[in-house]
Amino acid sequence: MAKQLGMVIDAGLCIDCKGCMAACKVANEVPGDNWRNWIKSGDMDLRAQKRGRMVFQPGNCMQCDKPTCVSACPTGATYKSKSDGVVVIDRGLCIGCGQCIKACPYGARYRNDKLKVADKCDFCASRRAVGLEPACVSTCPTKARVFGDLNDPANPAGKLMAANKAKATQVVNAQSNTDPNLYYLGEAGLKSWPVKAQMPGAFEFWKNLADPAVKVVVGLSGLGVLAMLGKQLMLKNDAPPPEEHGEEGGHE
Amino acid sequence: MSSPKMIFRHTRAGIFIHWFNAACWFFLLFTGLALIQNPELNPLGAGYPNAVRAVFGGGANLLVAHWLVALIWLAVWVGYFFWGLSRFVAPFLHDTFTLEPNRDIQWMIKKNLQMILGYKMMAKLVKPLGYDGQMPPQEYYNAGQKVAAQGIIIGALVLVGTGFIMLFSKYFFTAADVWLVQWSITVHFIAAGVTTALLMVHIYMAAISKDERPAFISMFTGTVPAEYAKHHHQLWYEELEEK
Ligand code: SF4
Ligand code: SF4
Repeated sequence: MAKQLGMVIDAGLCIDCKGCMAACKVANEVPGDNWRNWIKSGDMDLRAQKRGRMVFQPGNCMQCDKPTCVSACPTGATYKSKSDGVVVIDRGLCIGCGQCIKACPYGARYRNDKLKVADKCDFCASRRAVGLEPACVSTCPTKARVFGDLNDPANPAGKLMAANKAKATQVVNAQSNTDPNLYYLGEAGLKSWPVKAQMPGAFEFWKNLADPAVKVVVGLSGLGVLAMLGKQLMLKNDAPPPEEHGEEGGHE
Repeated sequence: MSSPKMIFRHTRAGIFIHWFNAACWFFLLFTGLALIQNPELNPLGAGYPNAVRAVFGGGANLLVAHWLVALIWLAVWVGYFFWGLSRFVAPFLHDTFTLEPNRDIQWMIKKNLQMILGYKMMAKLVKPLGYDGQMPPQEYYNAGQKVAAQGIIIGALVLVGTGFIMLFSKYFFTAADVWLVQWSITVHFIAAGVTTALLMVHIYMAAISKDERPAFISMFTGTVPAEYAKHHHQLWYEELEEK
């Protein structure tokens, strides 16, 4: 099976210390109001919770198998890497249109205030390049986040997946199931927060109206040219009516 | 006919800007098409953007190349515009944007029929309806050239405007402005499509059809045979004669 980096998270272990959020911000130089990861918690209604305690749900971009962010990107700047399954942003190719940001059901993306391009969690590509784990994983004091290739039982995340296949849950919006690669063990906490994926109006207009219309217009023009060319080739000696042509002015 | 009488039609500057424009336009069209990569859109299929990106060493380089050529193209045009404003640009704009409804509409209909049917068929089919085998006389630009020029000028302005919005997005815009960028992509695509459709006809008429062959040659030499001018741009020819 192809390599798919992901996380298996035991929400029950999370103590809402927000260490992962701080570590991520520092490791990835995430500016001001922008965040790559989060901890979701439900209402503080203790009676509603089984064990009478709050479940905190750590998360970040889920490197989905059917990523709506990729479908919304017109340039291919956002794509799913074939080698490790991480959804990547090519900053040079990104034009900052923000279509992908709107299209993610998890709000996992933001417009980087400094770089002015789309940005999100990439499982700390720069740290992985030097053999480190993502910053949030290294920092977590309770080891709630376990990271690795979900399809390889030889590494911790893969092993957890293999052992808990039936029990592990994905947090999804039923209307846009992107098949995320963040799995939760045991009680996952709040599950109703992902929204339906929204394609921006300009994109929908392009796809449904502008694209077919332009194809028709260019196609008609091409057909017209081909027809004229065919006529020209077939009627070899089709000349304008001699001498009477263009004589309206009567100056001759 | 030994050497037919030739009359002056295009300045060197005009010839230069025409071919410079053509080269840039081709480059921008084909790099622009390769900048679209989305299974729902890919106008030429997924293989095309991948191939072009490979040539340029990645999509990011391709984007930079598209911008650079666009900026050079625009800079040359701005220079030409101000340098030749009174000599070439103003007369060109005046000629192309003044339509004589009666004459020009008639010409458009007849010319299109003639192009599709051929002169002989046209004469046979339409003569009974009162067709006299003649086109309404035309000025320096014929009606088709005028309409094409108008479309291309407006298309170019739209392309420049939306192009700048996309370029600026990465430098000046905030998250609240991105809707502008989103619509710019769509409108840029539409403008490119419409101008391409017009240019396909323009290229056919000039480079392939026999009728306008002298006009094509004049885009290199600057002159057209007097006979051609008399028949294809009669009003212009008469104007020259009067001078
Ligand atoms: S979580 Fe959002 S940004 Fe991340 S891959 Fe899925 S759709 Fe894309
Ligand atoms: S902002 Fe998102 S959708 Fe737009 S080009 Fe960048 S990655 Fe693609």
